[in-house]
Amino acid sequence: MKKIGIIKLLIIIYVSNFIESLMAPYLINLYINFPITFIIFSLTLYNSNQNTNAFYAFLFGLYLDLISSSPFGLNAGLFTMLSYVINSYANTFKLFSYIQICIFFGISSIFYVGFKSLIIGIENFSYLVLFVSLLFNTFIFFLISMLRYYFPSMSIKYD
Amino acid sequence: MSRVAPTSGSKILYFLCITISGFLIYTDLKYKSFEGIKFFYQSLSISSSYIIKNITIEPLKYLYKISKDKNELINENKRLKQELDSSYISNFIISRDSKFFIDDDSIKNFMKLNNINESFHLAKLKYFDTEMYMCCSKHRAFFQTINNNDRHIGSAVINENGIIGQVIHADILSEVLLLTDKEHILPIVSGSHFCNARGSGKPQIIKCLYDTKVWQDKVTIGQEFYSSGLGGIYPQGILIGKVLKIRKIDDNLIEFDINLVSSPLASNVVGILEVIR
Repeated sequence: MKKIGIIKLLIIIYVSNFIESLMAPYLINLYINFPITFIIFSLTLYNSNQNTNAFYAFLFGLYLDLISSSPFGLNAGLFTMLSYVINSYANTFKLFSYIQICIFFGISSIFYVGFKSLIIGIENFSYLVLFVSLLFNTFIFFLISMLRYYFPSMSIKYD
Repeated sequence: MSRVAPTSGSKILYFLCITISGFLIYTDLKYKSFEGIKFFYQSLSISSSYIIKNITIEPLKYLYKISKDKNELINENKRLKQELDSSYISNFIISRDSKFFIDDDSIKNFMKLNNINESFHLAKLKYFDTEMYMCCSKHRAFFQTINNNDRHIGSAVINENGIIGQVIHADILSEVLLLTDKEHILPIVSGSHFCNARGSGKPQIIKCLYDTKVWQDKVTIGQEFYSSGLGGIYPQGILIGKVLKIRKIDDNLIEFDINLVSSPLASNVVGILEVIR
């Protein structure tokens, strides 16, 4: 899959943040926290053919901090960490099955949700939310991974 | 090109970025250092969305609102006009209550039995040949009933001034034979003087011919004549008109013209009275 341009990704993240802010009040009633921006960014890094620069992830995180009104540096740090992990294990992922990759991204999204809850407001931290979100997000990743059967252009071509 | 694991140089960069992130979080949470930037962004996004909305959506909404308001006003105006026309005719009937509802209970019972809610149906003028009306003997008008497509052959037609004629043919439009048509005969009365008035073929004028041996009372100019109700079409006691001109035909026969109080030109909305058979 081709690397998405910076401007396009900025717009996608802005729109996804807006959608996330609309969906969150309804999903939390079902104990689900669905971090769309994080998922989109992680999939972008995963699908990229090249390693991304640390500053790339850091600046996108800062941008998300700005538009989502979360503490400055929170998304920047988490995106940088995610970028490091994905870049480090990019070749290892080739050995994994899609189920394992989905579970990995599901767990990483839960790490993101949990860490965010700890920083923004510890009173919102809930293991039930984390558990339900883990199942939901992993299921969503399964669905996303199944898209390549229907849209072959989405599948990753390893060089 | 395959992806390579981060080198030690890039690891330092990652470490640096994460450290900076941690520092930023600390300063933001502890000292609210970035509140200004956040507020600036929020005010910028609110004002820009407001401006964009004003430029794009508001003009469209305004145009839509104007067109909707205009349509609503036109419809409201039409509705009010219709109600006003209806009220004119209702007022005419109400002001002559004793004449229209002389046998009140029987009419009410009839209307109740036949689910009739109104004593007349509002109708709008569709075609009227004024040249024919001014010059010739055939005086007809064509109306279309509003909110009702029932046929009302034999019904009297009134406007806010009085009786103007009767329905003689009804299909999509109702053809009304006006009082002034030469074929029309209207039984009228004034005191003890009865007469069958014929249409003159002239606007506003009907004629009455009587024999002085039969009706010995004298007719005077300005004398008022009323509907007698003897024809079975029109209600009794409605003012038809006043005597305009009297002519002596021979020793016994006298003809006089009656100037009608109502004119079909007065209004383009009329009431067709419900027929009681």
